[in-house]
Amino acid sequence: MMLLLRLAVRNARRNTVRTLLTALTVTFGTAVLTVAMAWITGVFGDVLGTAADAAGHVRVVDPDFASREQMNPLYEHVTGVAARAEAIAAMPGVSDVAPRIMTGVSVSVGDEIGEVFALAMGAPKAYYERRMRFDEHLVEGSIFPGQSPKEIVLGATVAKRAGVKIGDDIVLFGQTQDGSMSPLRGPLVGIVHTGTAAIDQGAFVLLERMMYMADIDDAATEILVFGEDRDDAPALAATVSAAPELNGLTVQAWTHREPWSGMLAIADVVRGILVAIVVFITALGVWNTMMMSVMERTSEIGVMRSMGLSRMGAVFLFVSEAGGIAVLGGLLGVAIGGAAARYLEVVGVTLGEATTAQFPSDIPMKATLYADMRPDIAMTAFLLALLMAAIGSALPSLRAASIAPVEAMRTGRR
Amino acid sequence: MKLTALLVLLTSTLSWAQTPTADQILAKVDANMVSETRSNKTKMTSITPQRTRPPFEMAIMAKGADVAAIEYIAPVRNKGTKMLRTGTEMKMWDPESERVSTISGHMLRDGMMGTDLSYDDMMSITTLRTAYTSTLKGTEPCGNGETCYKLELNAKTASISYPKRVMWVDTAHHIPLKQELFAASGMLLKTWEMSQVTQFGDRWYPLKMVVMDKQQQGTSTVLEISELQFDVPLAEEVFSTRWLERH
Repeated sequence: MMLLLRLAVRNARRNTVRTLLTALTVTFGTAVLTVAMAWITGVFGDVLGTAADAAGHVRVVDPDFASREQMNPLYEHVTGVAARAEAIAAMPGVSDVAPRIMTGVSVSVGDEIGEVFALAMGAPKAYYERRMRFDEHLVEGSIFPGQSPKEIVLGATVAKRAGVKIGDDIVLFGQTQDGSMSPLRGPLVGIVHTGTAAIDQGAFVLLERMMYMADIDDAATEILVFGEDRDDAPALAATVSAAPELNGLTVQAWTHREPWSGMLAIADVVRGILVAIVVFITALGVWNTMMMSVMERTSEIGVMRSMGLSRMGAVFLFVSEAGGIAVLGGLLGVAIGGAAARYLEVVGVTLGEATTAQFPSDIPMKATLYADMRPDIAMTAFLLALLMAAIGSALPSLRAASIAPVEAMRTGRR
Repeated sequence: MKLTALLVLLTSTLSWAQTPTADQILAKVDANMVSETRSNKTKMTSITPQRTRPPFEMAIMAKGADVAAIEYIAPVRNKGTKMLRTGTEMKMWDPESERVSTISGHMLRDGMMGTDLSYDDMMSITTLRTAYTSTLKGTEPCGNGETCYKLELNAKTASISYPKRVMWVDTAHHIPLKQELFAASGMLLKTWEMSQVTQFGDRWYPLKMVVMDKQQQGTSTVLEISELQFDVPLAEEVFSTRWLERH
């Protein structure tokens, strides 16, 4: 075994240029893979994480609301939300419950209606703090300080378009559940800038105010339920849906709701395709090197086979050589790719708010996207480098093992 | 034989001579529907498949074709809300915002308080003879056994809310008992039916109207008019911003 390993090392050192080229191929492939996986994980993870936090790990709605959600029918609401929310909060695995109402409004500071449009949200203060993380995104003022129940917080984009400042008395013109014009007037107490177009174009009030606007008492269009981990949402949904208080209502995990269920599937497919392409191209490079190595050393293989080297020994010799190159190239690739991914994790890539504003409001795409470089990505990329070497060296190794010793020795003399 | 033929010819000629032109019919419709001033109370009930809403009750004062003031009396949530329409602009004051807001442009064609009527429908009266060219399409039975002139109206300008109307005007009182209101594309937007035609001096006016927005599914709005007075003196202040802000 040691002899074969020494032979593998010697073979690798025999043609340093070729070995170096092979190692660089593996390095390049591994680096690309590392960056790509970190980027996909970062972008999709960020979007899905924000979406799950904003939309609830689990959501309880009226079935008719769910079927006509695009129309946002305020009259298809869940009644008795206070009692239902209390019952849900007492369930195991539930860490937060937030009834919520959303509707379109126009924001007015003067006497003209219809100049600036926003997506208005009514929810408990705790939801804005813990789930929307408004404290982290506050650029001016404060988040519902409690001076008045009529306080309003605006997204930065809306605030800029409306030309309002903290302390201004603003009016949100929305509609009741029946479609009557329904204004809400209150002082602007805070401006948030999250970098997510859908949120920065929002107007935020406390739940009771939105109930007044929609003209629905003790009711909300959605009850959002949160667990400790968003990945546990399906199990949490199963627990919540069993509650007798929620009979007749639709309970869904965020992973089973569009557009996120589709996005999760797309993320998996994109990741799979990308990995397959990089592995294939890099394996091709390794295969090329190993094949040349086998062809160059056919007579040498013949001598070794005639001296007693088994077929498996010949396979092991070439796989070891490829494995050694892959370890070196893989480590270097993970280091280079990891550094690049880390850069993207810190600095990110800015798409601009004009671009992200084009996305549907239920996809919270941020203006700046970041990678997410994690140890498991480095480990996966390194293991895939070894896989590339194994695939790339498999064919040459089998060819080397299948050469008859006598035939192989003649090859060198031709 | 010759005498009979002469009589038939004479009768048909007289009959033709008695049939008014479309323009004459429209002039009579306008004479009934448009007034110098008007005040009334209106109960507006919106019927939707989803739920029953409490009806709106309002006091309306109108001057000419496009100046009108509305004050909501009920339900409690809307009590005190005022709307003032002057020309193409509408201002609103409501107890929640305590502010006069201006509604203009396309919003005037939105459903008023979520009903099948737009702000334009409720707060302006189109003088049909001025706004449309008309064609008489004959007579048809309509309403509760009445006979109606069927008219087709096409707007003279593009700014009219309903570029095309088909209306059935009763031959007795010249009230459009039924109207179909179309978009420029020919799509049916609304139907508007009028009934309980009552005499007020030398004019007739319907005290009940049913409007159906055909873009909505299964909705209708019923207007029931009471305390109707025409050509009464109305204070100029009623049609001012100061009236809106007074509460």
